[in-house]
Amino acid sequence: MTQSNTVEEIVSQPYKYGFITEIETEKIPKGLNEDVIRLISAKKNEPDFLLKFRLRAYKQWLKMKEPDWSGLTYSKVDYQDLVYYAAPKQDIKKKSLDEVDPKLLETFEKLGIPLSEQKRLSNVAVDAVFDSVSIATTYKEKLAEHGVIFCSISEAISEYPNLIEKYMGTVVPINDNFFAALNSAVFSDGSFVYIPKGVECPMELSSYFRINSGDTGQFERTLIIAEEASSVSYLEGCTAPMFDTNTLHAAVVELVALDNASIKYSTVQNWYAGNEEGVGGIYNFVTKRGECRGKKSKISWSQVETGSAITWKYPSCVLQGDNSIGEFYSIALTNNCQKADTGTKMIHIGKNTKSKIVSKGISAGQSKNSYRGLVSISPNAEGSRNYSQCDSMLIGDKASANTYPYIQSKQPQSNIEHEASTCRISEDQLFYLQSRGIDFEESVSMLVSGFCSDVFNELPMEFASEADKLLALKLEGSVG
Amino acid sequence: MKSSTISEAWLNSLPPTEGYLKNEQAIGREFLLEKGLPSKKDEAWRLSNFNKLNSFLSLPTIIDSEDTKYIFPEKDGNRERIIINPHINPILNINLPNGIEKLNNREIEDNLGKIVKSTNIKNDISVCLNQASSSELLALKVRRNFDHSLEIIIPSIEGKSIATRIFLLIEEGAKLDLLQIFTGNNNSAQNHLIEIKLESKVELTHGLISLGEEKESSSICTLAVEQSERSKYSLHSIHHGWDYARFEPRIIQSQGEASTIIKGLQVTKSKEQIATHSLIRFEGPNGKLDQLQKAVASEYSHCIFNGSIEVPQKAQKTEAAQLSRNLLLSKRARIDTKPELEIVADDVRCTHGATVSQLQDEELFYLLSRGIDNKHANSLLLKGYYDEVISHFPKSAGKWKFIEKLI
Amino acid sequence: MISSTSETILSIKDLHASVEDQEILHGVNLIVKEGEIHAIMGRNGSGKSTLSKVIAGHPSYKVLSGSIQFKGKDILELEPEERARIGIFLGFQYPVEIPGVSNLEFLRVATNSRRKELLKSELDTFEFEDLVKERLKIVEMNPTFLERSVNEGFSGGEKKRNEILQMALLEPVISILDETDSGLDIDALRIVASGINRLSQPNAATILITHYQRLLNEITPDFVHIMADGKIIKTGNKELAIDLEKSGYDFIDTNTKEKEMAK
Repeated sequence: MTQSNTVEEIVSQPYKYGFITEIETEKIPKGLNEDVIRLISAKKNEPDFLLKFRLRAYKQWLKMKEPDWSGLTYSKVDYQDLVYYAAPKQDIKKKSLDEVDPKLLETFEKLGIPLSEQKRLSNVAVDAVFDSVSIATTYKEKLAEHGVIFCSISEAISEYPNLIEKYMGTVVPINDNFFAALNSAVFSDGSFVYIPKGVECPMELSSYFRINSGDTGQFERTLIIAEEASSVSYLEGCTAPMFDTNTLHAAVVELVALDNASIKYSTVQNWYAGNEEGVGGIYNFVTKRGECRGKKSKISWSQVETGSAITWKYPSCVLQGDNSIGEFYSIALTNNCQKADTGTKMIHIGKNTKSKIVSKGISAGQSKNSYRGLVSISPNAEGSRNYSQCDSMLIGDKASANTYPYIQSKQPQSNIEHEASTCRISEDQLFYLQSRGIDFEESVSMLVSGFCSDVFNELPMEFASEADKLLALKLEGSVG
Repeated sequence: MKSSTISEAWLNSLPPTEGYLKNEQAIGREFLLEKGLPSKKDEAWRLSNFNKLNSFLSLPTIIDSEDTKYIFPEKDGNRERIIINPHINPILNINLPNGIEKLNNREIEDNLGKIVKSTNIKNDISVCLNQASSSELLALKVRRNFDHSLEIIIPSIEGKSIATRIFLLIEEGAKLDLLQIFTGNNNSAQNHLIEIKLESKVELTHGLISLGEEKESSSICTLAVEQSERSKYSLHSIHHGWDYARFEPRIIQSQGEASTIIKGLQVTKSKEQIATHSLIRFEGPNGKLDQLQKAVASEYSHCIFNGSIEVPQKAQKTEAAQLSRNLLLSKRARIDTKPELEIVADDVRCTHGATVSQLQDEELFYLLSRGIDNKHANSLLLKGYYDEVISHFPKSAGKWKFIEKLI
Repeated sequence: MISSTSETILSIKDLHASVEDQEILHGVNLIVKEGEIHAIMGRNGSGKSTLSKVIAGHPSYKVLSGSIQFKGKDILELEPEERARIGIFLGFQYPVEIPGVSNLEFLRVATNSRRKELLKSELDTFEFEDLVKERLKIVEMNPTFLERSVNEGFSGGEKKRNEILQMALLEPVISILDETDSGLDIDALRIVASGINRLSQPNAATILITHYQRLLNEITPDFVHIMADGKIIKTGNKELAIDLEKSGYDFIDTNTKEKEMAK
């Protein structure tokens, strides 16, 4: 028995959330053109400015080329073979949960996200998104008492058009990149959060995304605005059934933090990753960016990425306000034929801005796990600091770990420090744990968790144990 | 002006050559004609100052013999000196010591171009520029189990562009202490392609002092090294004073089991741009690398470092460490640094790090509080900063006065 | 404590073992019975540590021939964790640091895996905390050690005490303590030795691997074995250790020479 073989066996674990919900779905025909965009906009009763926004984005998208710089190869997406709008057949949005199709409630319950009043989580408000639409948001009324708006983006578009018009597309411009342009043209639903001045959001907010249809592209859009001196912690979870075709997920997330505001955005991404041979799985091409517009504002990203066939994702912070802070904590676990290319950009513009990056990549099987990051200090960002730490762990001799940290500085009164290491699970550590009676599987799992502990410490409490379990699940398996 | 048109005009101005390099020249020409010069879209050239590259290519390449007059510091007693004058066979004017000899035809045919080819770089512009323009070859071998010191000087010529091609074969068990000096001249350009093959158990200490120090001098140098098993290669390089310089060391440990040490320093001032693009690839197990790249940018200058390390599956038990340390001394200066690690072997230990900062305030304050004035304190600290690289040069390198120039 | 009816715990017969294709053990024979304390002494490189690693099942060490039986059962096919669960404990000479893994959590998981084997109920977090706090006293350790990562940043003495704490929690049948005394100052040595003494049980046994006699002043061995070149070349009582201390390891050389001469 060779050690690495068995470690490899351990990381192979069947996907738990691969079931399909049998529900009647309303879909528009496949394909993308101006009429489709008008149709989506009409179905959602959108104001004129939004239709124009979509059409502008579409025109930009037509001029853009699908990126190929990352060196990841994948079978190209046929954008005319996708459905751009799919919704479970029911009236647009139900006033009360009793009217929501019980099959949908059941689906979310199976995913560990009970929505009904008796069972729902006591301290987390949830927005549940199924394919293209948000089906329920819990605790809306309670949040409203504090002036906090938490609803689907569609609802926000009709209820708070001024906020949408003021902020949407200002952090991630419609022509930012190929997938952001596509999302801006066809986005279906997503979450909207608004925290008014001086309010500390009384509970965790959370969105749960579920892809159900196989041929539907998933394009959700999230916008979070934290007014002066407010704060919020937001969680995002995702799963999808197992299909042997690839499903495209191209989301856009925009965060805006004004003076003294703070936003903590956490993700546990567990989209279907494809089978062992790399057939099927989600293409997760996501643009996430936050702007610290105000002085002393703070945006903190934490992510646990375990799913998807391919992940391209660089949650970034633009540190405009003086003394603002950006953080990025990431765990990316890849197995089999998964490819993850993830990291962050920290753009220091304001004076005395600070950023911290902690990235832990674990690659097993034949997977490819890359950290790609940019730290940029502009000439005016006097007194700025960055600290980055990127560690990779390799399991098996076919897995690859790449690190591309890019540093650019134009300001002498600033400090940038980057450290990185690549290693495998230490045999001595493994033997030490085993020699205390802890079995091989659990020892590996403990060491992987230990490797990730810097990041776990940054996750919200409820989430940390969930994420740890998710990693353990991925690492669990049959050892002979 | 379009880069492709420059390329063609420049190519047409190059003197044709005969001999070993004839074929090489054809390859370089063809590539440049087809691809043109690099653009912002080429990742490896993205940050390059294309105006400076264009002026590099605007200089004439025909050299008259009266152009070549230089004064150099006296040579060491124990170190053989070769001065490379373009278009003159460099071997003619020296007596090769026992143990170093010219490569014969077959050896040249067997080896030339192979090492640089094995580095496998996409759109390898630096190499093609040299292939298209160099017309003389210095091809030497250090024979089995000999121990030698050698000095190779490549001066520049005012108002001219020169290209040189060097191939060194170091046979099994030999030791070589090689000191290479590139010097700039007013409005001059130089372009070097050096290939070195280390057979097993070879020890090569390679000092490379590259000093522009004159107006508008520029240099592009590719160094391709292949290390066989149990060889030791240490490279210590300084680049300073060039208006535009690009250094591309590429080291392949072809069987692993070898050790590589790189200590590089680049110092820019004024509006200079100096870039180092290194690549180290391990093609077998148990390889070792210790790489330190230091850069200091002041005034309006720009320092670039791009460091690739590739550890494929067959390179188990590789130990590689890379550190990029940068000082940014002015608000108008700029530092770009980008380590790139690609690892597909699980039983390896690789680390890398990068820092960008200014001189430490506390250290400066300490010196000031002892009555040392600001200027001296700064130069003392800088000297300390350089020392990690400079201390590895042979003592005799000091006569090139580069330390004084650096501070 | 030792009686002729004592059961044999560990029986090693003609054990040959290698690491990295180099044979280190050249035929070790050793029998350890209930209630016994054995000391194995020898120079660096004599094979003492290798023997301990082989008994614990370290994957880098290969058994070439011979056998190891624990209570009459062959253990060579068992994984390290299985050996630990049936009551074989190795106190490491250099306990590894495991950043990020909580010491408390590690101790709890280890303890429960041993308890499961003993058909005792598993302890939840609270029950375990009570147990561990009580056992901490044996090694005079501060409870703050529990909150840190396994051995991370521990001093040499703290690491060794953490080893004895694990021994106290796992209640092994046989404890093999590899150079537990090395790098300890007098106080730490006393704490560790008294811990070992307090933990000794009539139905369990201890093997002390050591360089020096000073640990044996604190813990009296029933047998002293001297190892050289991968074999036990001499066995005696604690007087042997004292002789060894007086005349140094050179006396082994003379001894072996004499033996060879006799042949």
